Amino acid sequence: MFTDRTGSDGRRGRPTGLARVAGVIGCAALLVSGCGGSTATPLASTPAASAIAPSNAASAQAPSAAPSDAGYTGPAATISYSIWGDPAEIKNQQAVVDAFHTANPKITVKVTVSDWDTYWDKLQTGIAGGDAPDVFAMDGPLFPDYQSRDVLLDLKPFIDRDGYDLGQLADQAVGDFTTPGGQFGLPRDLNVIALYYNKKMFDTASIPYPDDSWDWAKLTEVATKLTLKGGDGKVTQWGFFTETSDMENYWSSLVWQNGGDILAPDHKSTVLGSDQAVGGIQHLQDLIWKDKIMPDAASWPTDSGDAFEQGKAAIEADGSWLVATHQAAGIDLGIAPLPKGPAGQATSINPTGAVVYAKTKNPDASWAFVKYLASPAAQTKLMELRASLPANKEVLAGPYSSSFDGAKVLADALTYAHIKPSFKGYDEFATTLQTELDANVFEANKETVREAIDKVLPALNSILSGQ
Amino acid sequence: MTANGRRRARTGGGPLGGEGRWALLFLAPTIIGLAILSAGPILATLAISFTKWDLLRAPQLVGFDNFVALASDDRFLKALRNTAFYTVVSVPLGMVIALLIALALNQTIRGIAWIRTAYFLPVVTSTVAISLVWSWIYSPDSGPLNAVLGFIGLPPQKWITDPFWAMPSIVAMSVWQGLGTTVIIFLAGLQAIPQEYLDAASVDGAGAWARFRNVTLPLLTPSIFFTGILALIDSFQVFDQIYVLARPGRPSDATVTLVYTIYENGFQNFKMGYAAAAAWILFLIVAVLTIVYFRLQNRWVHYQ
Repeated sequence: MFTDRTGSDGRRGRPTGLARVAGVIGCAALLVSGCGGSTATPLASTPAASAIAPSNAASAQAPSAAPSDAGYTGPAATISYSIWGDPAEIKNQQAVVDAFHTANPKITVKVTVSDWDTYWDKLQTGIAGGDAPDVFAMDGPLFPDYQSRDVLLDLKPFIDRDGYDLGQLADQAVGDFTTPGGQFGLPRDLNVIALYYNKKMFDTASIPYPDDSWDWAKLTEVATKLTLKGGDGKVTQWGFFTETSDMENYWSSLVWQNGGDILAPDHKSTVLGSDQAVGGIQHLQDLIWKDKIMPDAASWPTDSGDAFEQGKAAIEADGSWLVATHQAAGIDLGIAPLPKGPAGQATSINPTGAVVYAKTKNPDASWAFVKYLASPAAQTKLMELRASLPANKEVLAGPYSSSFDGAKVLADALTYAHIKPSFKGYDEFATTLQTELDANVFEANKETVREAIDKVLPALNSILSGQ
Repeated sequence: MTANGRRRARTGGGPLGGEGRWALLFLAPTIIGLAILSAGPILATLAISFTKWDLLRAPQLVGFDNFVALASDDRFLKALRNTAFYTVVSVPLGMVIALLIALALNQTIRGIAWIRTAYFLPVVTSTVAISLVWSWIYSPDSGPLNAVLGFIGLPPQKWITDPFWAMPSIVAMSVWQGLGTTVIIFLAGLQAIPQEYLDAASVDGAGAWARFRNVTLPLLTPSIFFTGILALIDSFQVFDQIYVLARPGRPSDATVTLVYTIYENGFQNFKMGYAAAAAWILFLIVAVLTIVYFRLQNRWVHYQ
């Protein structure tokens, strides 16, 4: 009835998962012990010059002189770590934190979990009051809004001091937290968009499962066959389902598959007005109103839950954060790449990072923890949630890809993924754009995508240029 | 009693001589609380409203820019309209229904205490919990409301996601939720009406309607006045219902309200100065309406 609200929309956060898959995959467990040591990086030879940073000056937070690759050697410290997500998730996070504490007995980490909205309210008021968590989770698209306001600690000096190899983490995910000359966080996990299908419904209809040869036309063709109606003409089974309330869930991928893009490279204007971008979104509008193979968002608001998860839709395009809940719902789940568009294959990738508060009193301990979160040991534990993909390449290619049926499809999607747009003013941009699209394109068929986009273009561009 | 107390306090001496000071002492927590927790932030908000402030860095003074920009902000103006609609419909509707229920509950029948409690339950239940239940009731696909409509042969509606039905749906939920408070105040008011007045009216030949119209209703006007002001102020601040019901999609232009835009600008768009300006406009609207309301009370409120 009320599905997990945090995970129901791409932007509103991934780490969810009502079901905890208890069994630890053997090979993964082996890797925890086998790879735990591989986080150790070569001895740093360039300790930062000035040891003690003047308090208050955010930019002056410098790493302590002591290289910490052999484990944290500073004074005993307690740091706070805030994340958004399901309260049930705290157990998994606590396991990661406990393991960190075992490896670094001098550092104690206190975890706080909030729901998506509360998380950001608390964070902003905390920062305004000069009292934010030492380490906190950061959503890729919102990163510039925080980084540009000088509230995050540049980790570059620590990375240089420890000789930390950023190459061990997924490149696009790292890039989301990189600025010219700085690195303001490490990716903790990431999510991609893929195609889910209900194997049972395909078997019943004797239709072969989706594969990487699928394109837009094929999806429409098969989903039409799988849309079933009762005697009263009411749809009893939808062929297709996705969420339209955020670009990440599907429509940004359609824009890229059609050769379009969301923003101009300088992030000062939007290119959603191009025929390619409009055509991509138009494809989604057609699936709802022309092909009638998926419910419109007003008839199936997010509160009603995920039609696919409820066994009322045969195919769904949506995020990798849904794997655990789909499986827990008893769906015979298949995972395939998104259908290709006229310009080829594309999907969306969105990382969550761990960042450090600029005014933290314990920069060294915080860095040690951020580094640990990206390590194979922590990543292997996080991946058991199936709420996201690990950001660590080694874990991604190894234990993760074989951890469940379809995991490899998700991992391979990184090769053709576009990063979810990340820029200052993201929230305001998204609200302005989606309010228009929701009301007149996705929830009601009042305007063509061209009309809707042309209507909001000036407002979108003024948000972007005003930042 | 107040008159007595005042006289005693003024004359001093006597066992109750320090009553005035005691009253102040007991009021102190409230007064201090109001001064620090309300007056402080209200003034701070006024100062912030003249700045451009993203909450994370130092604010910059911008004079009246925020107020000027609000005047041409479509979403803000829609929120203003929606909030006005919500108030105009929900306040009178809630009071009329509450009055009818209070009259019905003003009986001495078995189990009346339980029935009264039942009406008060929604008041002490969190709005978030209530909104979640209502979002299920309104669910276009599996909600009981559409099931009932289907049963009597009417077409299903989209309710919250339908621009036409969205606001009425939220009003219906809020009225239901707010009933308890109003009913309990009306009940107290009804029970404070001396039976002699009603008996005297009966003796004079007044029927049930005439007794209600000429005795009960006039004597209830203080309660009506009091609940009216509470409902008015409350309804201008409608937020929780919108926050939960109109999410996790975001409130459409049909459901966005004043306080929601304040929240949206302050915490999502990094425009705390702009949000503060909007908050002050809300404050001024409520203040003016409250003053007008108080001024008008001599015309229709009868104190015994």
